[in-house]
This record gives sequence, C-alpha cells and structure tokens, in this order.
Amino acid sequence: MNDLALDLARDITEKLSQQFDEVAVLAIKRRELMVKIWNNEPSITQMWSRLNLYLRLAKSGKLWVLAYETHKPEVLLKHTDEMIKVADKITESELYAPLPDYAVCKPVSGAFDGNVEFYMNYPDELVESLVVGTLSTGVDRVSGTITLSRVERVLTTSRGYECSEVKSEFEVYARAFKDEFTGHWAHGSTHISHSAIREVGRRAGIYATITRNRVDFTPGEYNVILSPLVVGNLFEYVAHMASALSVLTGFSMFSKYKPGDSIATESLSLYDAPRDTSLPGTLGFDDEGVETFNKPIIEKGVFTTLLHNVATASKMGTKSTGNAGWIGPRPWNLNIPGGDMREDELIRELRNGVFITNNWYTRLQNYYEGIFSTVSRDAALLIKNGEIVGHIGRIRIASTFSKLMKNIQGLSRERYDVWWWEVRVPMRAPFIVVSNIQLTKPEV
Amino acid sequence: MELQVDPTLLYRVVDRGRELNAQYVEVRFQSDYRVSVTTRNDRILAVSSSKSSGIGIRVLVNGALGFAATNSTSSSDLLELVERAVSQASATSRLRKKPIEFSDENLSSIKYSVDEKKRLEDFNVEEMIKLAMDIYSTARSAVREVKLPFLVTDIRVHIQEKLVVTSDGAYVESRIPRLHISVLSTLLHPQKGTLQRSREFGGSGGGELIERWDPARAISEEQVALERVLVSGIMPPREKVTVVLGPEVVGLIVHESAGHPMEADRILGREASQAGESYVKPEYIGSYKIGNKYATVVDDPTLPNSYGFYLYDDEGVKARPRYLYKEGLINEPLHNRHTARIFNVKSNGASRSMNYASEPIVRMGNTYLVPGEMSFEELIEDVDLGVYVKSYMEWNIDDIRWNQRYVGLEAYIIRNGELAEPVRNPVLEFTTGWFYSNILGVDRNLEFHPGICGKGEPSQGVPVWFGGPNVKLSKMQIGVLA
Repeated sequence: MNDLALDLARDITEKLSQQFDEVAVLAIKRRELMVKIWNNEPSITQMWSRLNLYLRLAKSGKLWVLAYETHKPEVLLKHTDEMIKVADKITESELYAPLPDYAVCKPVSGAFDGNVEFYMNYPDELVESLVVGTLSTGVDRVSGTITLSRVERVLTTSRGYECSEVKSEFEVYARAFKDEFTGHWAHGSTHISHSAIREVGRRAGIYATITRNRVDFTPGEYNVILSPLVVGNLFEYVAHMASALSVLTGFSMFSKYKPGDSIATESLSLYDAPRDTSLPGTLGFDDEGVETFNKPIIEKGVFTTLLHNVATASKMGTKSTGNAGWIGPRPWNLNIPGGDMREDELIRELRNGVFITNNWYTRLQNYYEGIFSTVSRDAALLIKNGEIVGHIGRIRIASTFSKLMKNIQGLSRERYDVWWWEVRVPMRAPFIVVSNIQLTKPEV
Repeated sequence: MELQVDPTLLYRVVDRGRELNAQYVEVRFQSDYRVSVTTRNDRILAVSSSKSSGIGIRVLVNGALGFAATNSTSSSDLLELVERAVSQASATSRLRKKPIEFSDENLSSIKYSVDEKKRLEDFNVEEMIKLAMDIYSTARSAVREVKLPFLVTDIRVHIQEKLVVTSDGAYVESRIPRLHISVLSTLLHPQKGTLQRSREFGGSGGGELIERWDPARAISEEQVALERVLVSGIMPPREKVTVVLGPEVVGLIVHESAGHPMEADRILGREASQAGESYVKPEYIGSYKIGNKYATVVDDPTLPNSYGFYLYDDEGVKARPRYLYKEGLINEPLHNRHTARIFNVKSNGASRSMNYASEPIVRMGNTYLVPGEMSFEELIEDVDLGVYVKSYMEWNIDDIRWNQRYVGLEAYIIRNGELAEPVRNPVLEFTTGWFYSNILGVDRNLEFHPGICGKGEPSQGVPVWFGGPNVKLSKMQIGVLA
C-alpha cells in the first residue's frame, strides 16, 4: 500500500468531485533502473523515480483525460480549473459512459519480488552474468539491457472505489554478435531469475553461432518457423487491433468480423491474461476500477471478444472486459497456448522453409484488411531437408494477419515469456509454424 | 519566457556531483505541456492535457555514465539522486575497460525561444474542436463514390521548455511551442474495398501555422485523389519502369537510409541491441561513395518553424546543418560529445532528449535531400512510361538501414511525360546503395513532413521533419501486395 499516493489520489478526487460529475484518479509511482550494455560493457546506468497522476473527469457527458507528472497537486488543480472553464464550449464525448458502481478492491498478489529492489542497488552482478554467459557461447560481443522496476498503482473514483497494488518488473534482452552474424533473445517477468538471464545470453549466442554459412535466397512463398519473439511482435498487433477503440476508428481487421467468426486455424488461441502474476503486465483492476480477468480474444480459431472499457462496451451493447484505458481499451499480458510440436524437432519437421528468429519494424498498409510487412533481424535461416543450410540475411514477411492465422500448421509445446523493445505487451508464446507465407528481399 | 525552475537549484546539483568526484555533471530541467482534442467523424472522443516536468541528471564517473531522473524538484531529493547516480556509475565503472570521455566544446550561455505570431497557449480547445469538425465535414462532402466511415483527427499543442546546465559551463534555456495535427481516414467502397491514410501536419511556431497548412482543404483534396485511387486504380506495370517519388516518400527514405545510418552512436554499435547498427563503418566517413551527384542529404535542426527545431542541443552544443551525404560521399555523422570524442572531432549538436526522464542521445532534427532547379513537369517530361508515388502508408527498413520497402498510396502512371491514371499499392523494395546511385534527377519542390522518430532505451520519440523534392529514379521492377 502506498499511503502517499493513495492520500494524494483521495484528496484530488474529493476536491474535483465538487466541480465534476465523475472523477477517477490513477496514481502510478515507479522506481526503475536500467543498465544498457554495449560491446560487453555498460554504456549507461539509468534510474528513475517518479509519480504519475492520471485524471478522468466527466461533466454532463463531456470527458477530459489528463496526465501529470508532478508531486504538486496545486499545479494539477490549476489545470483542471482551466478545463472546467471550457465545459460549455464542448459537446458530449462519444466515449462517455458512467464509471462502474462501487466494487470490492481485489488487487493481484504475488506479483512483487523484493529481489528486484535489492538488485537495483547491485545491478553489476546481473550485468556481469549476462555478459559472461553470452560470451561463453563463443560470440565476439554482446549488447542488451537489464531493467528492474517497482511499480505501485492506486485508483480512486468518485463512485467510492479505492484500490492499490504493487508489482515488480524484470526485463532482460541480449543481442550476440559473431562476425557478421547475430542472435537475439529476451525475457520478461515480475520476478528476477538468474537462470533466465543465463538463458537469454545462451540463446542469443546460439542463434549467432548456429551456422557460419551464408546462402542465396529467392523471394517467394515459404513455410516458416516464427520464434516466440516474432510471434510476440505480430500478435501484439493483433491484440491491439482487438481493442474496441481500434474497431471504432477503423484501424482494425476486427472491424470486418463479429464474435463467433472463424478467423484462424483451430490450433490458435490468444488470451489477454492480466491475472497471470508471473508476467509483468499483470494487474488486478483496470483504470476504471473494473476487476480484471483472463479472457480469450481468439479461442480455437474463433474470434471471441474485443477488449472493452465501460464506454466502448456501452456503445457496443456489451460489458467491460476490464481493459480500460480511459479512452482506448488495451491488452495487459498476452498468452498463446502451446501445441504438440517439440521445439527440438521443429526444423526437422519443417523439412523445407525458413526459420525467422527475430523481427522488427512491423508496419501496416491497411489495418482494416490487416495487410502488413515486417523485417527479419538476427538469424533468418534457410532449412532444406530438415537441416539448417545457412543464413539468408535480412528478409521481409509481407502478408496479411488473416492469412498468417489461417495458415498455422503447428505450435511448439515449449513457450517463452518475451518482453523487449519490439514486444511491449508481455507475452507467453510458443514457436509457430506457418505455411505459404510471402517472403521478400530487394532485388536491386 | 518565465523559467519554471530556480537555476541555483540545478547548480547545487552540479556542485554536489562534482564534490562526489564526477568528471562531468549535466542537469536538465524539462517541461512538456500538451493539450489535445481527439475526434471521430463529427464527435469528440476526448479533450486531453498532460504535463510532464522534472529533472534529469547525467554524470560521468571513472569513465562510466550514470543518468537519474525525478519529477520531484525538492532540493533534498535531487541531491540524493545525484549521489545515487554517481554511486551507480561508479559501481558499473569496474566493468568498463575503456573509459567514456566527452569532447571539449565551446559551450554557450544562451536563452532562446520560437516566435509565435498567435500564441499556441491561446489556441483554445474550442478552436481545436471547430478545426477538427471542419476537416471532417469538408472531407466527407468532397468524396462522391466512396464512404468515409472513419476519420479520426487529433490536434495537439505542445509547449516544451528546457534549462540545461553542465559542469563545464553550458547554460541553455529554451522554449519551443509545437503544433501537430494527425488525420487517420478510411475510404470504403462496396466493391473496391478500403484504403487508409495517415496524414500529419507539424511544426514549431504559433497558431499561424494553421493558416499556412490549411488542413481542411489539404485533407479534402487528398481524399478526392485517394477516392480516384480506390475506385479507378490499376495494377502497376509488370515491366521495369521509371519511378518518380514525391517529397513525402523521399523525405522518409532519407530519414531512414541517410539520417539513421549516419548517427554516430549507431555506427559505433551503442544502439545495437534494439535500434540496430549501421551499414556505415567508421572508416567510411569521408571516403566511401554511397550515391551519385544528386545524393546530398542534410540534417538541419535550425530550420525556422520546423518540427525538429532547436538551436542548442541537450549537451549545450550549438546546432548547425550537417551534410550527412555530400554528392554521394558519406560525409559527416551526427554526433554528441561522447561519439565526437571517439571520432576525434567536435560535436555537431545532435544530442536530444524526449523528456526530463530521457538520456540525451544522438538524434536527427530535420533531414532532407537537397533539391535541384527544374520543375516537376521538366522532371517527368522524358518519361515514356513510369509510376509516380506521391504518398505511402506501409514502410520498413532493416536494422543496418540497407534493405527497405515503401508501399505507395496515392500513385499514378506517368505516360508520355504526363501524369495519367491512378495506381493502387505499388510496392518498392530496394537497397540504400541502389537508391542513392540511381537518382536521375531532382526537382525544386522541397517539401517537409513531420514525424515522431523512435530510438533509445527506453524508447524515446522526438519530433522531426523529413523532406525532399520530387526524385526521378532509374527503371525498376515494381511489386504488388501479396
């Protein structure tokens, strides 16, 4: 319990309730440390200590959303005075619905690891472990980051809701370099794990050294293995498109679908899992005070639900899914159940195709149609007759999310908790095998 | 300009850092205040406001860098924070074999601000809503054969104030107001499907920028053009044809394939694990030809009214135009004081931070391909068959800034030297080397477009402009969407 933040949130809620019909105050206090590694050495150690205050204010259906980073409530109250002055100049928000009635506070428990605070004072031990562990695979150099956070979150509303919770976050990723070849791995959790640090370094190193061959590549349709890093990146886009706000603004492939539609192979399910306290996106209540729960966005290939807050739910005639976001609902943690393939047999079973271990720069030509491309980075490997024959360099997946999900041939049993620069919603993901996916590379 | 923080507080932190044996201490107060209105079609979604202000402290201790930030401005909190920053940097210094050093610079004591003919703080919510409604109603009434089911407008005022002081004498106080408008639209035709566009306007200055941009007119004209593309657009030619790219596409290309690979920290590998490295190696500087005589790319943060405007960077170094590529030669990378020291040169003032909580790192300001003399008509008059790509939606580039892709949105056939029927979704994929070596001509129509450029750990988004003229390229095979 964070008394300072709670007292502040209560105080602001009480004061603003005199001017507005509804007030919600979300206070987030973060203490964080990140060590960045460059060529086997720390390039910088960064620390943050900050209090963020977010306000949702409503009056006669008009909606204001304010964000302040300040320890001084008087600054904030002065700004809200300015906001109320223009109340008669603006019209009702399309995304206003009353805040939920009073509910019992049910924070998550077990999401805080005291070791995270300990290692904020002694991060060099973790850095050394990552660097030494990665270099032990025979690579030349390693870059990456280790980030540790303590996050306290408090919500008070004028409907009498009050709740607070605390969690820790641990993020580590590494990129290993061996001559012209690189490998990458990442991990995210609420708990520090020394074995995870070693595993990140080991996998990055393995992908950097898996072969020294470089082979020619001809663009075309291929069967592909996507690593959990690639799966994490691409399905984060799918999950964001499942936000009801994305649908309301047309920036979603789900604009074309309704719950119950079959949109993927039966082997694919995608869950929003805020109650999984091992993943760092966990939380017990959303920004409107709705208790969170795990839910399928896609279950056995069938589109199940959009992600809602009370406003989007009200507009679409359904109930909140506990994913507020005051304007836009959003996913918290993502989880794709594994399949029956064994990770160590994926390459052999693929027979012929391409193994893409990492990607970045996913962009869409058309969200409504789900048309996208993304670029591989680190190891992209040509597979022939069940064997790796060599690196094909930086290639591109150019496809649609619909095709990607309908062409899934299998998922690995083993899953990994990934979180890094290109996967900002923590995800537990397997390797996924997809057939007939267009891969491109410039011919000039 | 009324300073929101007492400079003596920042100097006390500098002094405390020096007492603790930091070789260098930099203390930056930064305030970012934003007000925005977001609408969907003719309805308001929300009125939003945010205020982020606090202090970032960077120290160099025993050859190791430490950074700490807080939004508390209490003297005791800040003194404790600088002690922690020094302590952490000192602890990790044992893991460094080669000490980090900064270049020596002539640092200034200066105050500057951007002029506003109409103060942005007076550009009120009511006016923003009216503008957003105008944009929607004008666009909706402009199209005939398609529907406009979704048009989302976001109008945002951003006032950024900074005070940077360093232990070696810099004092830079600045105020930069910025205005940004984004419009996301979806055109829907029952048989032809959908087409989506993200259009942005951005710059520094006051409310007068609105008159200059005339966004309602610009958006409605573009919707009419996009309607033609959706309704009548044909597939791109199957044979290799001349490609002409518009300023928006050219600007993005030079941002991605000249600006980013010429960031010295990327060349050195400091961003290797996330933003990536560069095809440019340190030994290429001043010796390697990446393109032909038309390949001159400049990054200039000092352009008046630009979105990436600043006169002094966040290390107190005066900004100036940087010729990244000069007539095809890889010429001058973007530097901060750290990378400048490694390259044994002076910093060229490229150190920027997103907010008070962000480490200053090497960034672009406003990047553009230098224009030529001819008109657009002269540029395309000798093209028998080609494709003109005016705008894009999808794009990406690999992590060394070599292999890139742009998918056109508004595009036309060029036939016998004139623009002809619209083309749908032309796909361009090429390498950086091919692009800069295959420019056949550039016209004089220099235009800039705004963007938020992402880089750093944690990721920092900073406002930039990217631009260029219309550019004619050699014949190439144009792809189609799978």
